[in-house]
Amino acid sequence: MNAVNKDLMTTLGYYELAAKDSADLFFGNWLIYLSWENHLMYCSPFCLPLPTNLPFGALVRDVLPLLYGEHPEFEQIDWQRVRWYDSNEAFVPDFGKSLEQHGFDHKTLIRFETPSLEGSRSHLDGNKQAF
Amino acid sequence: MDKAVKKKKLGLKQRYTTMTRDLAWETSYQDMDKVFPYDKYEGIKIHDWDKWEDPFRLTMDAYWKYQGEKDKKLYAVIDAFAQNNGQLGISDARYVNALKLFIQGVSPLEYYAHRGFAHAGRHFTGAGVRVASQMQSIDELRHYQTQAHTISHYNRHFNGMHDNIKWFDRMWYLAVPKSFFEDAFSGGPFEFLTAVSFSFEYVLTNLLFVPFMSGAAHNGDMATVTFGFSAQSDESRHMTLGIECIKFMLEQDPDNVPIVQRWIDKWFWRGYRLLTLVAMMQDYMLPKRVMSWKEAWEMYAESNGGALFKDLARYGIRPPKGWEDACEGKDHISHQAWGTFYQYSHAAAFHTWIPKADEMQWLSEKYPQSFDRHYRSRLEYWDDLAKQDDRWFNQHLPMLCQTCQIPMVFTEPGDPTKISLRETKYEGQKYHFCSDHCKEIFQHEPRKYVQAWLPVHQIYQGSCYPEDINPESPGDSPVREVLRYYGVVGGQDNGEFETSQDRHNFDGWLGKAHKPEQQTEQEANK
Repeated sequence: MNAVNKDLMTTLGYYELAAKDSADLFFGNWLIYLSWENHLMYCSPFCLPLPTNLPFGALVRDVLPLLYGEHPEFEQIDWQRVRWYDSNEAFVPDFGKSLEQHGFDHKTLIRFETPSLEGSRSHLDGNKQAF
Repeated sequence: MDKAVKKKKLGLKQRYTTMTRDLAWETSYQDMDKVFPYDKYEGIKIHDWDKWEDPFRLTMDAYWKYQGEKDKKLYAVIDAFAQNNGQLGISDARYVNALKLFIQGVSPLEYYAHRGFAHAGRHFTGAGVRVASQMQSIDELRHYQTQAHTISHYNRHFNGMHDNIKWFDRMWYLAVPKSFFEDAFSGGPFEFLTAVSFSFEYVLTNLLFVPFMSGAAHNGDMATVTFGFSAQSDESRHMTLGIECIKFMLEQDPDNVPIVQRWIDKWFWRGYRLLTLVAMMQDYMLPKRVMSWKEAWEMYAESNGGALFKDLARYGIRPPKGWEDACEGKDHISHQAWGTFYQYSHAAAFHTWIPKADEMQWLSEKYPQSFDRHYRSRLEYWDDLAKQDDRWFNQHLPMLCQTCQIPMVFTEPGDPTKISLRETKYEGQKYHFCSDHCKEIFQHEPRKYVQAWLPVHQIYQGSCYPEDINPESPGDSPVREVLRYYGVVGGQDNGEFETSQDRHNFDGWLGKAHKPEQQTEQEANK
């Protein structure tokens, strides 16, 4: 009648279980989350399965426009000035290197900020469009 | 000669005792712990089950009589509604989408509650709580049935209501209520009662039922109002079971206090997150509005809930950890949720739209701190796109919270321009959350939540395609194939309201109904 693994799950007995989202279940891809900070026309960050050998440059050139291209500020992004974060840790991407070579992992969250293009923060300047 | 002795009728109290408490005895052939294996492993210590109070003293025979009378009245109203084509009297066809959300997301929970209380009604050692749970189990089954019967009339006339159980098992946004309840009834009976009877029914139920039922009344839907009243009259018993269970656990042993506190923290937050759907319905989906989510929150949660937790302080219970964040969210969550469904409406099973100008005005007035500043401009932008025949839908899948399974749409407490994102690692893998509270729930029982069936991840694993699709290469439109698996017809069951069949039909019916008048006018002109 003892709870097995009580600290990890309150249960009457032990049973086998597996994490439902482990990396081996996605046909060789990783799930990568992408977030354009403060741009809340898109209600949440995105979740995509991406090849681990995808070059960072291809992510920026081919993937991000598909996700965010419809936002009126997207075309104005100066990619040299973009600030990148692996979750909360700042990093400088190498456009020639792959996701794996950047040290990312399955379910990495990549966030990016675009200085001067502040989306939902634009209301602070009295700008009418702020999303 | 013996005179026949007339059997003495039992008094109410005696009858109650005979039919409930006397049904419990100490088993002798089998160990009590084997007969009741579930009510100790959660760590709750009970010393004297006889201390459980049964304020209602309802017996089954009285229950049937009372419920039978209620059902007779309800079905008379439903029949009258159908025969008089009551669906033509509602405020606007947009209203029906609130009913779709109800039959898809709320009614299946009634059925889950029926199952959960049946389990609790078998597994508590104490007879008082067993009987109360069994009655509630029957209540919940009746609620599901009366809701299905009432709403089935609308199903004959509108899209998006014909397959609610399949959708409940499959669709991404319905994974939110589904996972909430599966979390509750895969806990032990004490956690289940704390989750459903106390945190949801006692603390939060008014926020669910009042908006839907007053919403129905304001929008001309008397059939729904009637099932609402029928269900609501059981709620006082349900709420009493909730508060009774909490007080019983707290009074039985001081060791129970920290366990109960953690459950209250957890289930308040899970219930609050679930109510995001109601907040959205209340502010955006009722053509005739009752009150704003913010007003409802202030009345039912802040003021009533505040008093409750003052009362529980004497047991050493404090307000739930997420309380302040929930109060802060009252200015935001309905707008954030509607924005989400507006952009993913092509993957849901109800329609969305941009509020009309007077409705935007109402939102500005009700949300002076947030609507104009944070939410109006994106609605206007989308409205412009729609007017240029370019109605915007978000074509890519969102990131979900591992615990509540809602897309990561909630913003940081104190900063509505920034999405709130939290994460942790368990057994080498990353897990992401919408809030400190969802993260804490995971961290307490990670082995439970790593099993979560997150709809977006399941789509990418190939679990949500019809059988004729190769999940590794689902073709040029994976979303189309996923909709096929859901059993939803794109554009008919979902998408934009303005261009929908629902709207077209409803306008047509009203036009037909008005025709005789028009003809008379034309004839008069002749």
